[in-house]
Amino acid sequence: MTNLLEVKNLSVSFHTAQGELQAVRDVSFSLRPGEVLAIVGESGCGKSVLCKAIMKLLSREAYIKGGSILVEGVDITNYGEREMERLRGKLFSMVFQDPMTSLNPTISIGKQIAEAVQIHHPKMTKSEVYDKVIELMKLVGIEEPEERYRLYPYHFSGGMRQRSVMAIALASNPRMLFADEPTTALDVTIQAQILDLLREIQKKLNTATILVTHDLGVVARVADRVAVMYAGKIVEIGTAREIFYDARHPYTWGLMRSLPAYAKEDQELYTIPGMPPTLVDPPRGDAFACRNEYALDIDYEEMPPMFKVSDTHYAATWLLHERAPEIKSPVEGMKLSVAGRNVSMAGRNVSGTEKIASIEVDTAKYERAESEEKSPVMSETAGALEVESAEPSASHDDILLDVQHLTHQFKLSKSAVVRAVDDVSFQIRKGEIFGLVGESGSGKSTVARCVMNVYRPQGGRILFNGIDVCDRKQFKENQKLLQTARQIIFQNSTSSLNQRMKIADIVTEPLEIHHMKTARGTLRNEAEFQLHYVGMDKSYLDKYPSELSGGMRQRVAIARALSMEPELLVADEPIASLDVSIQAQIINLLKHCNLEHGCSILFIAHDLSVVRYLCDRIGVMYRGKLVEVAPTKELFENPRHPYTKRLLSAIPVPDPELERSRVISEFDSAQVGQNGQDESGGSGQVELRLAGEPMSDVNGRMVEVCPGHLVMKGGHE
Amino acid sequence: MIRKNPFVYYGQKLLIFILSVLLLSVVVFYVSRLAPGDPLVSYYGDRVEKMSVEERRWAEDKLGLNDPIHVQYVRWVENALEGNFGISYKYKMDVLEVIGGRLANTMILGGVGFVLIFVLALGLGIFCAWHEDNWLDRVICKVGTITSCIPEFWLSLVLILIFAVNLRWLPSSGAYSVGNKDDILDRVVHLILPMTVTVVNHLWYYAYMIRNKLLEEVRTEYVLLAKSKGLSKKNILFKHCLRNIIPSYLSIMAISVPHILGGTYIVETVFSYPGIGTLSYESARYQDYNLLMILCILSGIVVILCNMIAQVINERIDPRMRENEIAETSEVTNVG
Repeated sequence: MTNLLEVKNLSVSFHTAQGELQAVRDVSFSLRPGEVLAIVGESGCGKSVLCKAIMKLLSREAYIKGGSILVEGVDITNYGEREMERLRGKLFSMVFQDPMTSLNPTISIGKQIAEAVQIHHPKMTKSEVYDKVIELMKLVGIEEPEERYRLYPYHFSGGMRQRSVMAIALASNPRMLFADEPTTALDVTIQAQILDLLREIQKKLNTATILVTHDLGVVARVADRVAVMYAGKIVEIGTAREIFYDARHPYTWGLMRSLPAYAKEDQELYTIPGMPPTLVDPPRGDAFACRNEYALDIDYEEMPPMFKVSDTHYAATWLLHERAPEIKSPVEGMKLSVAGRNVSMAGRNVSGTEKIASIEVDTAKYERAESEEKSPVMSETAGALEVESAEPSASHDDILLDVQHLTHQFKLSKSAVVRAVDDVSFQIRKGEIFGLVGESGSGKSTVARCVMNVYRPQGGRILFNGIDVCDRKQFKENQKLLQTARQIIFQNSTSSLNQRMKIADIVTEPLEIHHMKTARGTLRNEAEFQLHYVGMDKSYLDKYPSELSGGMRQRVAIARALSMEPELLVADEPIASLDVSIQAQIINLLKHCNLEHGCSILFIAHDLSVVRYLCDRIGVMYRGKLVEVAPTKELFENPRHPYTKRLLSAIPVPDPELERSRVISEFDSAQVGQNGQDESGGSGQVELRLAGEPMSDVNGRMVEVCPGHLVMKGGHE
Repeated sequence: MIRKNPFVYYGQKLLIFILSVLLLSVVVFYVSRLAPGDPLVSYYGDRVEKMSVEERRWAEDKLGLNDPIHVQYVRWVENALEGNFGISYKYKMDVLEVIGGRLANTMILGGVGFVLIFVLALGLGIFCAWHEDNWLDRVICKVGTITSCIPEFWLSLVLILIFAVNLRWLPSSGAYSVGNKDDILDRVVHLILPMTVTVVNHLWYYAYMIRNKLLEEVRTEYVLLAKSKGLSKKNILFKHCLRNIIPSYLSIMAISVPHILGGTYIVETVFSYPGIGTLSYESARYQDYNLLMILCILSGIVVILCNMIAQVINERIDPRMRENEIAETSEVTNVG
């Protein structure tokens, strides 16, 4: 079979103030028709640049320094803008990371798709275009396309927008589709839907796809082949099976090991030490050498060539040289710990054959998790103690934060009200890490903000150390305590740190505000200490947030919170926008803070695999209600609420065999009495709920199924 | 924002408008009387110097200048509500008559100037954005910045010097040559210099804004998507980017009407162009209270109206705003 796309020794550089930035260095790969190639790596390693360079979508600072791009044998490297315009859309098109920004907000969805249709079929009549648009919308799973045609992007939820973007990308039936982190900005459950859609369409239309992502779980689900990129180079390339079961490059090992899914209990998450090198002046030899625990002397001197492992599998590491010492892959023998499934990586054999490796599934556990309600453990457990609210199971002085029947609404207009948080009760004990999980819009952040006194809740009480934080009088009396003992970290560290302040000032600002004595003499010493604590040296003190990477900024945010020595740290999706390896670092840091400072953490996330490693107890939120609260182990092994089950089943597993065979549990919304309007439904991004309307879906009571495990039982029984 | 009945919405705007105008009139009335100078001078001219104390007193009584200021103000408001804005001390005519002809002159200079600025800025901005960062764009940017830094009065004087005094191609002052009041061509010729100054002075500010807003828009991700579906540069710029910046451009232009109008006042004075600008200058200088009041209030109404139009444009033109369905987080309160 001939190659559809062939990239030979491609190098792309940017002009920057510091000099030439070599974003892509000497990359070669090929793409066959109808194949899915995944490109994986940390951010800044040149994945996106590579794709955009092929489509010539880069900004004017970028230029192709060398190499060639061949499409079916035709060299398009030197094509100008005119010629590219003819190719784009027809030969290849692209799906971008953030569906919130990749659609024009002022043009209706239908028109934007129609535009894409018309470009390459200028002779089509209006009604033909319309029919084609409707067909496309159906193809990508947008229901009732005729009605949605006229809607604007802001009417759509994230998942629906990404579907629309895919419809646009597929409008002219392109031979190649570049998907640049298409699911990173989406919820776990929607992520799975979009991936399945991508795979389905790719099979139906036989579109070759390049999927750029940092999430190995995503890769396992859809990719035929995987290329791992580091510092602008492809360091390993092979079939999905080869990469996942027989990785050879230490960087690939590192990426796999830092996944929380591989984490052993009570053990720090593995992190790749150090940072990716700057590409303005790339190091001599192997760029990964300084972060590589298996680095050989030659790694610092000479760049490793691509060694052949098999016909399809190549890796650029000196470890594969015949004279190199033999090193056993650290990934082997690691246990995947995924909801209800324990899979061992050992005993797999992938000696070049296509043979499916035997998967050891701990059947006993597997069945126990899957056999849901039939399990007799449930309702009969010691007469299923019915409790009105989450009854504190710990003694009273143990409880740091007590949220009781918290309710908060947002008024949209005179008649429409969104119940962001509806009768939520939970407790956080001293020194505990409590995880709050749910898809976007489920009210997690609103809870956090109520706890922090940002919003004034309309109902319920929030007791912090016995002080009612919403009571004006009690707040006044304990103002200083409340403002210092509770600290928050936000998701977006770019916008939550003042761009005009130096790091040192950011970290110590709360101390100044409260005129607090510093334990370490001057404010500067204090800042230095806190930075040191979060793993940054004092050279950062005089830098500005914009000079730091996302992970570093998040560390600064943590340092700022810790400078107050809080009793409660509220972390509102602190890692959602970070790379896998950086995520692991931040999680380790938070765990460390918890152990050393003894501060309680309210950790908010939509990613269950992270929460599993970090949290002691987890609460699952769905549409403003807390539907299940349980200790982490219990929740993962024995989820009771259908929504929890769905969330658990949607976690992508970094294992191609398992991931592909897995059917994501359909969360039939009817099961909980809703009319399925969240994803495919028309009410739009913010779900409108009328004030008086009974909440039929999750209108149950919390039932304690076994000690410490509370589940919302609704009308669906 | 919560959806409002249009009747209530515009009713509120009207109320705010009336209140603003009233407040403006109070301030102008008091402040103009605080300024030093003798209003009788504009009424009687040089004869004031020869007046006896009694004659002066009588004249002041006749013009109602001896009452306390608030009494004078109430009288002025009462008369104004009946449509009587008093007489001009200098021209001894009803102020509305004095203004009449000059208003048209200013409308021509300011109005046509505004339209020219609006259209040229759009064109120039698009042109520069299209040629982003090549030599054409760079030259225009540099020249534009320089021109917008030149003060109006200086530019006017230099142009008069070159084209009227040295070259004698164009007239230096007035709206028409003596005796040629109805000759349109003559009026156009008289307009060339003041118009040039007005346009040159403001053009780059708006063109540059268009250019930068367009380029900002070009850098957004939806443009990448549009590009990747094969849309040409022209279509992206005109169908996508321009469409998205027009609402903000319209509202900014609406706010800038008074700004441009203020510029023409200075230009009028330099070119002795018989418009509202020269008149305002004279009336303030000679304490012609009634004339000053009506001029200030007229200008004020224009300013307030334009601001309101800008506000309405902002609130209505964006499809997201138009429906007003999704509330911004309404309540952010902090206890204590």
